[in-house]
Amino acid sequence: MMDRMTAASSDPPVTDSEGAAARGPDLTDLLRRSARGDEEAFAGLYDATSRRVYGLVLRIVRDPAMSEEVTQEVYLDVWRTSARFDAGRGTALSWLMTIAHRAAVDRVRSSEASRRRDDAHASATQEVDFDATAEAAHTSIEAARVRKALDTLTEAQRSAVELAYLGGYTHTEVARLLDLPLGTAKTRIRDGLIRLRDTLGVTA
Amino acid sequence: MSPDLHHLSGAYAVDALDTDERSAFEQHLSLCSACQSDVHELTEAAHALAALTEAAPPASLRTAVLAGIGQVRPLPPLVVDDAAQPVGGDASTAPTHDEPEPVAGEGAAVARHAKVVPLFRRRTTWIAAAAAAAVLAVGGVGVDAWTSQEPELTAVQEVQQAPDSSTVTSSRGELSAELTYSRELGRSAISMTGVPPAPDGMTYQLWYVGTDEVARSAGFIEPDDGRGQSVLEGDLSRAAAVGVTVEPAGGSDAPTTEPIVVLALG
Ligand SMILES: [Zn+2]
Repeated sequence: MMDRMTAASSDPPVTDSEGAAARGPDLTDLLRRSARGDEEAFAGLYDATSRRVYGLVLRIVRDPAMSEEVTQEVYLDVWRTSARFDAGRGTALSWLMTIAHRAAVDRVRSSEASRRRDDAHASATQEVDFDATAEAAHTSIEAARVRKALDTLTEAQRSAVELAYLGGYTHTEVARLLDLPLGTAKTRIRDGLIRLRDTLGVTA
Repeated sequence: MSPDLHHLSGAYAVDALDTDERSAFEQHLSLCSACQSDVHELTEAAHALAALTEAAPPASLRTAVLAGIGQVRPLPPLVVDDAAQPVGGDASTAPTHDEPEPVAGEGAAVARHAKVVPLFRRRTTWIAAAAAAAVLAVGGVGVDAWTSQEPELTAVQEVQQAPDSSTVTSSRGELSAELTYSRELGRSAISMTGVPPAPDGMTYQLWYVGTDEVARSAGFIEPDDGRGQSVLEGDLSRAAAVGVTVEPAGGSDAPTTEPIVVLALG
């Protein structure tokens, strides 16, 4: 409890700063200018966010060439739909990451890729555990904060959230991977995300 | 609406629903403000995890992306009456969902992703929504939309022919609503077109919204093949706006979803 309060008061909430990826430029502004066809602004947006987008896509898709392809699709889509971004509905980074996550997940669930992944199911459980996550993370303040927040989840919640978000698995697949009764995984995912939200101080 | 669907908000936020569940939930999401705010917050929380997996893409990708956008025209913004926007965006019902127009040479893959944006509804108070809608208010009598129906026609005509009769309209995509009212009579009649079928077990309920922002039921409208009209029940006199919401069959005592249409009264 103490930890949580300390964390909440000393660290800026993710939503205010739009995360580490937005430390520099104002993503909302870059997105608005992109909507007006400003390619330079879009390049700025790319530079500020591409590590985050490509890293997530790569984490889910695994194959670097395919990840580049997906990342390119994501940015073209962001460019194309930038005028539809509504700051009243969330941060620019969240909007962009939602597009990226959905695109990566769609890609691995398309037949060919998912067949390849099915073969790797068993090893995936090990691969996506917390140590792998920690190893991939660098020492940014935000990553440290997120890791700390993840520590507040139960082991079961954390595995479910990580397999779903970072692994790109459906809740049915997560249930199977974690040997849970069907239907339990979605509850764990939700409970885990709620705890993450509360710890990180995300507000609507 | 199955209460079970509420529990899907977390899985939805991390794209962990299968295709069927996803569309079922999106339909629910378009009507459930609790889930809209859940999804909003949980999505934001989930994306924090992406801070753990950052990786630098090859420089060639930047070149490819920036070359690519030169050939793609950004879509124009949606310039619609915000107040008339269906609850939760257009996840399942509104016609604009059929956008993305695929851009030549871009391929289906890019166009496909245009749907992925989560559909959160900005919280707007009824009065604010009504104020936005008021921009579209037009004076005078709008007769043309009222030409063909039978049973209520007399009541509709009565409102239309009142000396102080006014008409306000609101539209978004194919959904359009027109309200004719008379302060003198204390009555109004609404006509809607392009209305998506109400989900199973749901109905469209009409509301008079007072200057105190309290909504009072004003009956129902049952569109047939997307079109319908209805004379509102109750007294117009204290109303600042008329709204339409989706409610469980039989109606609610107070709106439980955000309005799909709000018409401000002059
Ligand atoms: Zn719900």
